[in-house]
Amino acid sequence: MKRLLVILCTTLIPFIVTAQETDAESWAKRDFHIKEVMVYGQRPMKEIGTQQTKIDSIVLKENIALSMADVLTFNSSIFVKNYGRATLSTVAFRGTSPSHTQVSWNGMKINNPMLGMTDFSMIPSYFIDDASLLHGTSSVNETGGGLGGAVKLSTKPADAKGFGLQYVQGIGSFKTFDEFLRLTYGNDHWQTSTRAVFSSSPNDYKFRNHDKKENIYDEDMNIIDQYYPIERNRSGSYKDLHILQEVYYNTGRGDRFGLNAWYINSNRELAMLTVDHGDDTDFDNRQREQTFRGVLSWDHLRNDWKIGAKAGYIYTWMAYDYKRDVGNGTMMHMTRSRSRINTFYGQVDGEYHIGNKWLFTANLSLHQHIVESEDKNIIRQDGGKAIVGYRKGRPELSGSISAKWRPIDRIGLSVVVREEMFGKEWTPIIPALFIDGVLSKRGNIVAKASVSRNYRFPTLNDLYFLPGGNPDLKKESGWTYDAGLSFAVGREGIYSLSGSANWFESFIEDWIIWLPTTKGFFSPENIKDVHAYGVELKADLNVALTKEWQLGLNGTFSWTPSINRGEPRTPADQSVGKQLPYVPEFSSTITGRLSWRRWTFLYKWCYYSERYTMSSNDISLTGKLPPYFMSNISLEKVLTFSWADLSLKGTINNLFDEEYLSVLSRPMPGINFEIFIGITPKW
Amino acid sequence: MTTKCVRLILLTLLLLHSSCMKWEYGLEEEFQNDASERGLFICNEGNFQYGNATLSYYNPETKEVQNEVFYRANAMKLGDIAQSMVIRNGIGWVVVNNSHVIFAIDVNTFKEVGRITNLTSPRYIHFLSDEKAYVTQIWDNRIFIVNPKRYEITGYIDVPKMTMESGSTEQMVQYGKYVYVNCWSYQNRILKIDTETDQVVDELVVGIQPTSLVMDCNNKLWTITDGGYEGSPYGHEAPSLYRIDAESFTIEKQFKFEFGDWPSEVQLNGTKDKLYWLNDDVWEMDVTADRVPVRPFLPYNGTIYYGLTVDPTNGDVYIADAIDYVQQGMVYRYSKDRELIDSFYVGIIPGAFCWK
Repeated sequence: MKRLLVILCTTLIPFIVTAQETDAESWAKRDFHIKEVMVYGQRPMKEIGTQQTKIDSIVLKENIALSMADVLTFNSSIFVKNYGRATLSTVAFRGTSPSHTQVSWNGMKINNPMLGMTDFSMIPSYFIDDASLLHGTSSVNETGGGLGGAVKLSTKPADAKGFGLQYVQGIGSFKTFDEFLRLTYGNDHWQTSTRAVFSSSPNDYKFRNHDKKENIYDEDMNIIDQYYPIERNRSGSYKDLHILQEVYYNTGRGDRFGLNAWYINSNRELAMLTVDHGDDTDFDNRQREQTFRGVLSWDHLRNDWKIGAKAGYIYTWMAYDYKRDVGNGTMMHMTRSRSRINTFYGQVDGEYHIGNKWLFTANLSLHQHIVESEDKNIIRQDGGKAIVGYRKGRPELSGSISAKWRPIDRIGLSVVVREEMFGKEWTPIIPALFIDGVLSKRGNIVAKASVSRNYRFPTLNDLYFLPGGNPDLKKESGWTYDAGLSFAVGREGIYSLSGSANWFESFIEDWIIWLPTTKGFFSPENIKDVHAYGVELKADLNVALTKEWQLGLNGTFSWTPSINRGEPRTPADQSVGKQLPYVPEFSSTITGRLSWRRWTFLYKWCYYSERYTMSSNDISLTGKLPPYFMSNISLEKVLTFSWADLSLKGTINNLFDEEYLSVLSRPMPGINFEIFIGITPKW
Repeated sequence: MTTKCVRLILLTLLLLHSSCMKWEYGLEEEFQNDASERGLFICNEGNFQYGNATLSYYNPETKEVQNEVFYRANAMKLGDIAQSMVIRNGIGWVVVNNSHVIFAIDVNTFKEVGRITNLTSPRYIHFLSDEKAYVTQIWDNRIFIVNPKRYEITGYIDVPKMTMESGSTEQMVQYGKYVYVNCWSYQNRILKIDTETDQVVDELVVGIQPTSLVMDCNNKLWTITDGGYEGSPYGHEAPSLYRIDAESFTIEKQFKFEFGDWPSEVQLNGTKDKLYWLNDDVWEMDVTADRVPVRPFLPYNGTIYYGLTVDPTNGDVYIADAIDYVQQGMVYRYSKDRELIDSFYVGIIPGAFCWK
């Protein structure tokens, strides 16, 4: 024990005693900056013709309690399907399914290879330094399979000088505690950072249950009265720990090395449905996860060329336990499933510039997945024990080459050719073509267009899950077309205004859907052809109203019909020509930020139109999800002392205390509050 | 300037506030059907974990269908996965599997009269008397004994050779003082329960996964197995239809299907002398037949039927088509002469029927 104490002291004391100016400090002091207007001639060659949304770092670092699901909900055109507070949150990018969005972290794909999707509630936004959304065709620049698009998440060096420390404590409604600690050290060559987030809550918010009534009986068990009960969110507690270690080394002579290691330990109950008449003390429904993700990177940079290599590893252990009390306090398993995923990752990439007019890139990545799924323990016919599950491995190889050409300042052309191999099956060549051109230098008006083919292979569960996996599934395929205009105007230090309007069209064939069978389990089939199309609008305004008052407004609007164009399954099928269920046709977000001296007021608003719960778009009394509006606000004050910077922040979520559902039978919390205190010592 | 900014904030708040997203309360509707009127209840399972199960009611005389009758009569949801329903003395007992509940409703008004709660994962209810019934479960190795009058769980029947996790007891039929139960998921048995001692007194091994159980006019039990599935550690075999003598509790006949067939939903007509089941097509067979007919009663029409029932009074056959399982399903009504009489949309995944 003494030895442990000595080690802890010798490790931590230097951090505390010698902390200097750090990135953490700039967080505490951060000011509002009017963005520079991008000059057309400086548009990066790599982004020719791409439709990209970059999430501002201020948004990512807004507060420690936010996950990437929260950030995307209020700051992008993506629809986030949220099953409740601190529960599974998946995304629908341009009206597609969650597995049609490819997600990478520091270059490594982090989509679950068994399920295909990513749970964005498990990614704390404080762990992400750069986040960008690649819409539709633009995702082919980075990866295949992104029929909706791709989300690129990465970390970057803190740019610290000496030691730094930042600690933030959040205390909120429903006994919610969020804690964040970051230790940094940096010099000319080295940058290290250790981040930790711990969030916990019983999450037992109150709501009036409109789906259920409680009965009052007389002595003869006749109902004499009924009422809608005020209930607590039952069985919804969570404890999530994330630790992120980063080490970067820059030789100063064109070589950079990086190590990123992220550990997650999550223990979440699965909240009971509004229509559950079980006693929550008799049931335990819980999901646990331990995940390690590590990436080693090397970049070698020269004036006109660059090569890089990455190696990574992901280990995920997931446990799902559904137990009930059998009468004597003994909890017995109704379901006990386990899954283990090992993923080995390697990547090489290179870039080569010829003057200012040509850029060639090449990229090759390999993800080798080895998965083990144990879904159920059974007793065989001979009396022995057996596990229902599967063990499979699959290599996923993806390679691309691209040529980007800017013959004159105003025009850029880009061709990307990608090919992928999953298991032993290859995709045909995946081509993508991008073009952009400056229509007006004055308003920096840029027109963009792109077209691409894309494929998505079935996930490992789609193919092998027992029972129901279908090894005969075909890969999904699609064509996507994009075209849009963007502009940017402004005066340095006074205002900036930018915006874009983008039209897109996607045709996806052989869409995979899991359907029940007469044997009591689900099985996937290639059944749908989907036509997703629409318009995405974005606008961003930053104004220095006076020397002390600054205003920022950011908004998005999407119209995303996602229409089933398949053949009717039966003569009675009413789903053809209808919007896919749970995909809103319209969505919008607005964020307003008003700063005065060291005060910042933030208003966030989002809107989703009604989501259908049936493929026929019928609206029934039991299947209604009306339009969704949400407003959150926060107020922050930064106090500067000689010994430290202090940040005080208060947030109010669900400002108007709406009683609402995001998904059927999953109530969301009413108005709730959290305060944050952050300290960044100076020494 | 400060005042202007504050005004701006207030104006923004006002503009962005909307109350369209309200989680609405239901409105109670009054239904009053004639007690002597015949009717058909359809349990629409709904989607697992979405709590959108519904109850439909069809009048075979007027051919009128009323959907979501439970919600409309009670202004609350039925729950998650409506599994089955039986009627006893004018009270309908609707078993809602993943809501851990059985609702008791007046079959004429659809109003709730009581409920049995906190069941593990109920599948079917079978009445022994007004004050005693059995409730089978999945994911529990116990059959629950309940008092329907007091809406209470009063005891359990432990099922041997079954763990909680692999527990699966399904449909029940009674012969004398014995209740027979088919055990389905990763099981291959029919249980015999003595209703006086509430003990499993015997069991009979049939094929893999017997899906349903009925008893004909000659006191013969009929069960149909699905044969498991490819890759199952429990085994995969050709499914079969079994005839079991209730008295001796022995298999009398086995009708084998093709390997890979998926038969289910064995049902009887009103006189209990004709057997019906689904196996892509709809099949009909006399209970005394020695072999399965060559031609189906109704041929496969490109969809997987999910539910089946036969009108006990006139022999009309009703088949449920769940279509894509996320829209209102369709019920087709055929005469015993195979003529389509009617078709009507019900709720999501119509799976079980109950005659009033």
